[in-house]
Amino acid sequence: MKPQPFLRIFVSPAALCALGFLAAVATVLQYSLRAYVPGSLEAGDLTIDNFLALLKPLYARVFLDTVWICFLTAGSTLLVAYPLAYALVHAQNRLIKAAILIIAVTPLFLGEVVRTYSWIVVLGNNGFINSVLLKLGLIDRPLQIMFTTFAVITALVHVTLPVMVIMLAAALAHIDPIYEKAAQSLGAGPIRTFLSVTLPLSTPGIIAGVTTAFAWTFSAFATPQLIGGGQVNMISNLVYQLGLASFNFPFAASLSVAGLALTFAILSLLRVAARPLEKFRPH
Amino acid sequence: MSSLTADRRSKERAGAPAAADSDDAAVSLSGASKKFGKIIALQDATLSVRRGELMTLLGPSGCGKTTLLNLIAGFLVVDDGEIEIDGKLVNEIPTYKREIGMMFQNYALFPHMSIADNVGYGLRMRGIAKPDLKRRVAEALSLVRLTGVEDRRPFQLSGGQQQRVALARAIVVSPKVLLLDEPFSALDRNLRTSMQIEIKEIQRQLGVTTIFVTHDQSEALSLSDRIAVMFEGRIRQVGSPDEIYRRPTDRFVASFIGDVNVLRARLDMVNEQAIVTLGAARIPVPVEPLAEFRAGNQVDLFVRPERLRIANAGEPIAVEATVAAHVYQGGYVNLYLEAPAICTNRILVRSLEPDAISRWPTGTRVGVSIAGNDAIAFEAEPSPPDRIEK
Amino acid sequence: MLGIAGTLAVLAILGFVILPAAVVTLAAFNDRAILTFPPETWSWRWFAKAAAYDDFRSGCRNGLIVAGWASSIALLVGATFAFALDRYSFPLKRMLEAVLLSSLIVPHFTIGLGFLILAAQIGWARGFAVVVACHVVLVLPFVLRSVYVSLRNLDQRLELAAASLGASPARVLVTVTLPLLAPGLVGGWLLAAILSFNEFTASLFVTAQRTQTLPVAMYNYVREYADPSMAALSVMYILATATLLALANAYLGLGKVLNVEPHR
Repeated sequence: MKPQPFLRIFVSPAALCALGFLAAVATVLQYSLRAYVPGSLEAGDLTIDNFLALLKPLYARVFLDTVWICFLTAGSTLLVAYPLAYALVHAQNRLIKAAILIIAVTPLFLGEVVRTYSWIVVLGNNGFINSVLLKLGLIDRPLQIMFTTFAVITALVHVTLPVMVIMLAAALAHIDPIYEKAAQSLGAGPIRTFLSVTLPLSTPGIIAGVTTAFAWTFSAFATPQLIGGGQVNMISNLVYQLGLASFNFPFAASLSVAGLALTFAILSLLRVAARPLEKFRPH
Repeated sequence: MSSLTADRRSKERAGAPAAADSDDAAVSLSGASKKFGKIIALQDATLSVRRGELMTLLGPSGCGKTTLLNLIAGFLVVDDGEIEIDGKLVNEIPTYKREIGMMFQNYALFPHMSIADNVGYGLRMRGIAKPDLKRRVAEALSLVRLTGVEDRRPFQLSGGQQQRVALARAIVVSPKVLLLDEPFSALDRNLRTSMQIEIKEIQRQLGVTTIFVTHDQSEALSLSDRIAVMFEGRIRQVGSPDEIYRRPTDRFVASFIGDVNVLRARLDMVNEQAIVTLGAARIPVPVEPLAEFRAGNQVDLFVRPERLRIANAGEPIAVEATVAAHVYQGGYVNLYLEAPAICTNRILVRSLEPDAISRWPTGTRVGVSIAGNDAIAFEAEPSPPDRIEK
Repeated sequence: MLGIAGTLAVLAILGFVILPAAVVTLAAFNDRAILTFPPETWSWRWFAKAAAYDDFRSGCRNGLIVAGWASSIALLVGATFAFALDRYSFPLKRMLEAVLLSSLIVPHFTIGLGFLILAAQIGWARGFAVVVACHVVLVLPFVLRSVYVSLRNLDQRLELAAASLGASPARVLVTVTLPLLAPGLVGGWLLAAILSFNEFTASLFVTAQRTQTLPVAMYNYVREYADPSMAALSVMYILATATLLALANAYLGLGKVLNVEPHR
């Protein structure tokens, strides 16, 4: 066996972190199965009431809404991110490349609150869009854009875009340009080359991007919280209301657990559905 | 006979037989130039490729041969000059409309398609109907001697098999010109040699105009109908392999192809006949490269190793030299001789005598005679010339 | 190269990406308290107000403390583990890796909730410790990936050469491996610090009034006030981030770090 001189000291800290993380998750799991004691942060005895309560139509709706929003966001982000990723990879000029990269990636590093607040300024009744439309005389009264699902999804797409662009660009960058040349030499114009060669070969990137976008959107909180304003609720918002506003930790925990289970289920389904597309993976 | 070859044969019968007539040029470039920033990749290239011939672009890396090929293919646009395919100006026409077939260095088979889909790709782009398509794909695959792999994927085939698929894919569309970009450089030597023979046969059978790029001169010499030798962005000489080998028109071509010795000698007579004096030997050489010269000038004499012999008694000795080293090569022995007065490097003589090593051990003083009359002389270089050996 | 339609599409999308930032910048310079477009009078006063606001100042300070600690700890843990991951084999290796990377998929509100309850249960006051611990878990995957990629690109023959010249494993590590990994380490640390500073959802759960980070402070502000102070703060944020990224691109080659360089 090869000598492994630093094994213990290199792995122990990581193991410790993993334990800490698992402990936190386990706590959530544990609390989800305990009863809520109003007025106290302690939990009561074991019970599955929390999960039974989830079956109420109110909560079922929130679950469905969340999944729906996640799918729409992931799909829209894909459509918007792909051209950007393509331009990023194929741009010849180094400055243009850098510009696209920085512009596309910066939102990622701005933090949820700044991004979401910026969208409030754009979408609000006194906001940018309404002001422009009013000034141009296209509308009489401000459009109610805030607190709608459309607004939430728009902001979520904006949030998810950088990640999707990065994953798509990585996949596109690794497609050997010689395939496009070969296709052209055989008579395929630019559009046919794209559809029959580039797009299929970028499928692994698309799958990775959509899956990541889905998981990310599911985790989103500030955006639906501030832009949804209580009218558009995702699971994250419910957990916050119940956990931090009402201090009903057990129920918040059960929501979290159910949400987690749902995410894993959907991600697994996506993976299975993507299996026939595996043949597009360049070997 | 498959539709591929029938297609070609009828075209041949209808048109004039291949001649040195530029009207029958399948591909022609005139004054083509290409720059990349400050680097001049190709300068003023003029070339005419005859219908049905296999023309090789030969030269060291950086000579511009790949640039030229890419210009014909349409992956690059000329800065100056014109390119015509089949008599039609194609400068403005994009790659996918030029009706070419191309074979790439690393096969470039679409990894996400089956072999059949790969080969049929060009036909699909041209809107060929399915039953026709299937038939032509099968014909092309049998032409390259690869059947039964239609449903497999490229990664399941060996390098040699992938290369055949690449060839089938390029020829199934009956291209106006077939372009090959160093297609065999990734193969091992035996596979390479057999693929060279096969491609020559297929090319002959189909009669498709072919342009082949390589830096390997033995490949060029064995495959080509004509060779265009290129160096530093310019075409130096175009001719048949024999012409290139035996009558190079400049120093570079003379030294690039095969081994050659460069010996300092004196020019004796110029009129219709140029004679070069080297020791006791008087060697006739072509007069064209020496047009500017007068008798008495120093020249560099280029002689192939196989034209040099250790002199027997009574033969006029051109050079006196000392044996410095031997290299046994099985079928022959390479003898390296030193004669600092007339050659800066060592002189290479090839001997087929199996006892060459024992007959002329290191240190022996020998006389060298020149046989044959295909030596060539060029203007003497100011600095000592290099003998370039492969 | 992309054609007119393609170029327009890309410009439109880039416009979409920049829109909020551009709008916020306009709003930040508006003299009036209510957001209007375009601003009728311009002033810097919201910048002054934002810079002077106590909660923002303490939030910024707390954020820097947390980010500094969390990214440094994450760097130590992540770099050492990435090394073990790349070179060593040991039981449960893949499982450990999966657990540490799974914080990417588990929603931040779940992790935040978990740490909150856990801290309450084991009696940790809601101080910096729990925030740092939570952030370490959240940013670890990024550090891990960054360092791992650098390790994979490291030519191990250099280390073998050092060993053949008499360097012990520890000295090889310090004199050869670490210097060569430096860009990956710095990049990973920077990424972790930025993500930690900006992290909101989990922080909302685990921070208390006195430990609240800047994003949490901003969130509280937005819920109560509607003046452009937040806009001013956002502009400062955007400028700082864009500058940092431009520097990172010039110095570290952002494209390489993010693995989006084209195939050569």
